[in-house]
Amino acid sequence: MPVLTAKQVEPELRRGSSTRMAVDVDPRFRVGDEVITRKMNPRGHTRLPRYARGRRGIVVRDHGVFIFPDRHAADGLKTPQRLYSVRFSHHELWGPNHDRPDVTRAGFPPINASIFLDLFDEYLESL
Amino acid sequence: MSKHHHNAPLPDTVLRVKALESLLIEKGLVDPEALDELIDTYETKVGPRNGAAVVARAWCDDNYKQRLLTDASAAIGELGFSGRQGEDMVVLENTPDVHNMVVCTLCSCYPWPVLGLPPVWYKSAPYRARAVIEPRAVLAEFGVTLDDDVEIRVWDSTAEIRYLVLPMRPTGSDDLDEHALSGLVTRDSMIGVGLPQAPVQQNR
Amino acid sequence: MNGAHDLGGMHGFGPIDNEGDEPIFHADWERRAFAITLAMGAYGAWNLDQSRFARECSDPAHYLSGSYYEHWLDGLERLLIESGLLSEQEIAERVADLATPAA
Repeated sequence: MPVLTAKQVEPELRRGSSTRMAVDVDPRFRVGDEVITRKMNPRGHTRLPRYARGRRGIVVRDHGVFIFPDRHAADGLKTPQRLYSVRFSHHELWGPNHDRPDVTRAGFPPINASIFLDLFDEYLESL
Repeated sequence: MSKHHHNAPLPDTVLRVKALESLLIEKGLVDPEALDELIDTYETKVGPRNGAAVVARAWCDDNYKQRLLTDASAAIGELGFSGRQGEDMVVLENTPDVHNMVVCTLCSCYPWPVLGLPPVWYKSAPYRARAVIEPRAVLAEFGVTLDDDVEIRVWDSTAEIRYLVLPMRPTGSDDLDEHALSGLVTRDSMIGVGLPQAPVQQNR
Repeated sequence: MNGAHDLGGMHGFGPIDNEGDEPIFHADWERRAFAITLAMGAYGAWNLDQSRFARECSDPAHYLSGSYYEHWLDGLERLLIESGLLSEQEIAERVADLATPAA
């Protein structure tokens, strides 16, 4: 394997290492679709945080096809999968309590917020 | 000093780094000159001035701004910034109704080509834990208070996309040129936890 | 994995410690840990997702008490050992040598 030399540093950093894949995979979801994230607790690597498992959101953007990191971390295989931006309301993720005036006094002001996560196709199911 | 726990590594951390580096050099797996070049790149060449140039260009050139919002990686590349940890970029536009802020709750993903390496607070447990559950309280700690009817959008960049916030151009900056405008753009305003400086503060 | 790295929504960490005009690195060991991690990433014995997972595998209490570049160092050491490029024993011996001032 090649040892990185000083001369290669600049071109290597400039090239980067995009995990975008030049393969087409049919999208299972379209912008505007309502989805629910899977309840999953894999022992390996995943990009679906615990706080967003089993939650309802809306697909807002299709980023295209990327290497699926869960598999890539497990055995190095580059399997293509679509990545979507999914929007969740703050209320869906964290419940209503943060809107209560008594909780506000404890440091949680009323909230008008959404949280966006980039999620791979197999993290999602149709609603 | 004790609250800056990043300054207090475990006793053997310094030795472990030295041990790994010396072993890797002896085995020919790393080139010491490449290590120096990597460090120099991120200490002196890549930083938030890059992102500030992108923002200032977008404030001055509406066509550029449209390209930036449709294909951020290409538009940022036009100014010569690209590569590692910024391969696939999306730019988020702040408006009077919408305020965007960026976090990575799982590691500390950050758009290196436009902002450089992330500050310690961005990588710290308090920011990663709190940005998604109490963004208004977090913004208040950074001195940003928004009206309740402004929607906050928190982007948890845990996957392949890196985000740059395009803050609103400060009022009273109409007379400034692109270079002067870039001086108003703070790193924190491009993460979404700050606002650009007001033009008056630029007068010396 | 349900590790300590998955921090979103946790309570109890207190306020955000914003230093203001902070340096890129806070100590020389951070520079070196950063650079050897990137150089070994370019070497190609593992991919970036394997490197992220290696950092996530730390003991949770250890992860939460460590800093960013300590996580990197832990992950790098794990990958070097797993890939057979370095052994646990030679790292331990080198640490011991470095800890003992030369006679």
